[in-house]
Amino acid sequence: MANSNLPRRIIKETQRLLSEPAPGISASPSEENMRYFNVMILGPTQSPYEGGVFKLELFLPEEYPMAPPKVRFLTKIYHPNIDKLGRICLDILKDKWSPALQIRTVLLSIQALLSAPNPDDPLSDNVAKHWKANETEAVETAKEWTRLYATGA
Amino acid sequence: MDPEEDMHDARGESSQEEEDFYSEGYPSDGEDEDDDGDDAGYDFVDNDSDDPSTDVRRLQQNYTTLNEENISQRQADDINRVSTVLSIKRWEACVLLRHYNWSVSKVHDEWFADEENVRKTVGLLEKHIEMPNKRELTCGICFENYPRDTMKASPCGHPFCFSCWRGYISTSINDGPGCLMLRCPDPTCRAAVGLDMVDSMASREDREKYARYLRRSYVEDNRKTKWCPAPGCEYAVEFVMGSGSYDVCCKCSYSFCWNCTEEAHRPVDCGTVARWILKNSAESENMNWILANSKPCPKCKRPIEKNQGCMHITCTPPCKFEFCWLCLGPWTEHGERTGGFYACNRYESAKQEGAYDESERRREMAKNSLERYTHYYERWAANQSSRQKALTDLQALQNEKLEKLSDRQSQPESQLKFITDAWLQIVECRRVLKWTYAYGFYLHENEHAKRQFFEYLQGEAESGLERLHQCAEKELQVYLEAETPLKDFNDFRTKLAGLTSVTRNYFENLVRALESGLNDVGPSNSQAGSNQAACSKSSSSKSLAPGKSKSGKSRTGGAATSSRSGSSRGMDDSIWTCDSCTCTNPKSNSHCQACDRHR
Repeated sequence: MANSNLPRRIIKETQRLLSEPAPGISASPSEENMRYFNVMILGPTQSPYEGGVFKLELFLPEEYPMAPPKVRFLTKIYHPNIDKLGRICLDILKDKWSPALQIRTVLLSIQALLSAPNPDDPLSDNVAKHWKANETEAVETAKEWTRLYATGA
Repeated sequence: MDPEEDMHDARGESSQEEEDFYSEGYPSDGEDEDDDGDDAGYDFVDNDSDDPSTDVRRLQQNYTTLNEENISQRQADDINRVSTVLSIKRWEACVLLRHYNWSVSKVHDEWFADEENVRKTVGLLEKHIEMPNKRELTCGICFENYPRDTMKASPCGHPFCFSCWRGYISTSINDGPGCLMLRCPDPTCRAAVGLDMVDSMASREDREKYARYLRRSYVEDNRKTKWCPAPGCEYAVEFVMGSGSYDVCCKCSYSFCWNCTEEAHRPVDCGTVARWILKNSAESENMNWILANSKPCPKCKRPIEKNQGCMHITCTPPCKFEFCWLCLGPWTEHGERTGGFYACNRYESAKQEGAYDESERRREMAKNSLERYTHYYERWAANQSSRQKALTDLQALQNEKLEKLSDRQSQPESQLKFITDAWLQIVECRRVLKWTYAYGFYLHENEHAKRQFFEYLQGEAESGLERLHQCAEKELQVYLEAETPLKDFNDFRTKLAGLTSVTRNYFENLVRALESGLNDVGPSNSQAGSNQAACSKSSSSKSLAPGKSKSGKSRTGGAATSSRSGSSRGMDDSIWTCDSCTCTNPKSNSHCQACDRHR
């Protein structure tokens, strides 16, 4: 079973995530698979995502921590660096990954990405174009989507 | 066209030749040990007639073939040099050199201009930071605690345990050549992780991989070196920039252009070769064919070739549209009204009004250009396969025939080098001839004089090569089959060696003439003048190559009628040089043995 051989590092990280959670972030391992985490990130204040609760899934592959975790948004979100499947364009999840990074740092980076969208390095072309052409309007759409999909309803 | 440029060319050539001449006795370092065999071989012909080794030496002066050992040696030398001059560790010098594409001078320039900035960019710390001074330290990757002395860190002092380091380094090495730019695992730290860490911690297999990436980087990132592009060849070629022709010949015997790494293609330039190759491979010719021979179905737009029958076309299912081939209108509208089922007046009248002219003209042009291309391509490809065949023949010759011949004629094999030389020359000539067809294809239609001159030169080249090929193939057969008088064989030797050198001269001049864009032929030249131009060109370009052939020395350029009898030089009374083809003949012959012209 996947959980029997869990490296000490993952156990330690999990314990720390549960005992000292980062503000606005919660991550808890699934009961069947300790490498699979259910994650919730609160939309940062003063961002179009404020007031929203965003669900994500995070998976630690066999090679972790030598390979980065796999993270994806489950809640629909209007953001130039996140596509409609919830995949995230973030350097530390790809070539800038370092084994000295952790689940916590990854989630904090994603939270920061919500505060500071980067339309120059887009994953979703349409959203990025919208963002560059008319930022006010794009932000409105993002707020609308937050209201529609990321509030408790 | 431009006399200035022409003069310049001439000067360039002659100074090049001079260099060769002076350096003759002093082969450059590193070359002689490997090339002794070749040189010795050429020496034979050297004494015999003229000096064909000149071109070999000229080519070898501007490049060197490197094997794995040479590459590592050069790399180590460069690393040592930088390490000594900058007083840094070898692994640090290695990181620096890699960053600056292995240019020692660039490293020095940058370092002495702004050492601090260079250090920051490549991640070399000036001060070594010790790991925290505690008995036990926590590994930043697995979060376990270990005694301090079992931990390792880059000069930045971020401690990680041995097995995490090993895993980190191994992951990076297996990810590809990016491992040469490895940094400390701490995301806030940019300290470089170099060869010393890899050597002290990685597995043997990973260390070898890392060394391979280092070698590859040395060849690929270096502006002066490139891998030989022949499949399976592991040599690299180092090239001295700004030194004449880009054609190089690897030790694996593959000749290629160092600039574009396509096969050697003198006299054609790299751009033309790229266009030609694209043309051969790309769909462009298919498109031309489709354009020339088909029309699109007016309904589904699929191209249709009409290969027989009447004008009533039914497109293949699922379309099944019925239409008239001439006017492309629906067949249902055809009948008595349009002038009957077999003639379409709509087309005829529209044609008279000029409605179809444009597309018809395009179709016609595409057809012509396709035929033109096919003409050149077929000849290009034929020379290519001839060359391949000659290479195979050469191999067969070297593998068995030479030994047999040596037995039959009681000659040591070393004395038979002239036969191999002849075959090598054939192979080279086929290559040149092949590319002249690409040259011809791109030669402008409107330049009649040039075109005519070019075709004349090409034709002469072809027949010259045929003569040589004939002699090397057919006439050799006689001496392979039976014992013959020594005199006969010696005559054969003189003839073949002579033909080889004549053909070599001719092709060298041809290459030069084509490379200079046939500049001697002005656009004003009338058709009648082109023959005259051909003669003066060949003689003037030959005069650019002193020491190439005896007759060349007496040629002073100018009109083709100038006196240039080789025997009149009084150098050797037992031979004479043919006025027309420059071949040397024994005195006893009254006709030239190469071209049959009277003395």
